[in-house]
Amino acid sequence: MPNDAQQDSLAEKRWLNALAEGDPSALGGIYELYGERIFRYTFRMLGNRTDAEDATAETFLRVVRRSAELRADGAFRTWLFRIARNLCIDKLRQHKLMELPPDAQYSGAEERTTLRVTVHQALNDLPLEYREPLIYCDLEEMSAKEAADILKISVPALKSRLYRGRRALRDKLGSAMERTP
Amino acid sequence: MNNDLYKKLVDLYAGRELTSELDADMEAAAAEDSVLAWDMVTLRNTVDFLQGDPAPEYTEESYQRILMKLYARGAAIQPKAPAPAHLQYHLPIQG
Repeated sequence: MPNDAQQDSLAEKRWLNALAEGDPSALGGIYELYGERIFRYTFRMLGNRTDAEDATAETFLRVVRRSAELRADGAFRTWLFRIARNLCIDKLRQHKLMELPPDAQYSGAEERTTLRVTVHQALNDLPLEYREPLIYCDLEEMSAKEAADILKISVPALKSRLYRGRRALRDKLGSAMERTP
Repeated sequence: MNNDLYKKLVDLYAGRELTSELDADMEAAAAEDSVLAWDMVTLRNTVDFLQGDPAPEYTEESYQRILMKLYARGAAIQPKAPAPAHLQYHLPIQG
């Protein structure tokens, strides 16, 4: 019996073929498959739900507009994340101009919640060059290869940025990381 | 192994990329070197905290709002189930 990843891969192939053939239900299928992951990623990048929803919707609209470029060869997910990434970077530039604050919706035990807020603020303050590898590899648990492909850099370069990013974050957090979280 | 080499391995230790033998060697070395120990503990705690950070909640409301946005922009897409009543748009009753 195929595992989840194989089933996702089969479903992806089926929906991409359907999209190429102009099947109107294809976008719905692709959204069911990747909507949550793209939303999570855009939320992590942008820090608020409204912008994440906008960026997620726009990502899938661009899939339709650019469906001629699509190939069901396993690179779709990388391509999809690249679209989402470009949209997030555009939005982050707008945020910089408008100075929009991120959402502050956290729940859980008070001490850990306070730490989460501190960590997220420190993460948001990191240069994008360091923040992105942390989002891909540590928060979204992507492989170094997949993250490197999205960023169009080599795996060693990705790892170098990841390690420097972790250190930069730790240095911002200081003594907060001395105890086991 | 000397401590300079251990210092170079801290990034791998923090990401749990070392073998269990090297992990144990590092921890033994850290017991003798407080600077190395601080680097190892704080960096590993940072990585653990990030990796244990809960994903942003993908709510039914977000799912439906994204569908609405897609639909409003002309995408041929339908929700897998009808939107809950509180998320549906209602036209005002006139007359």
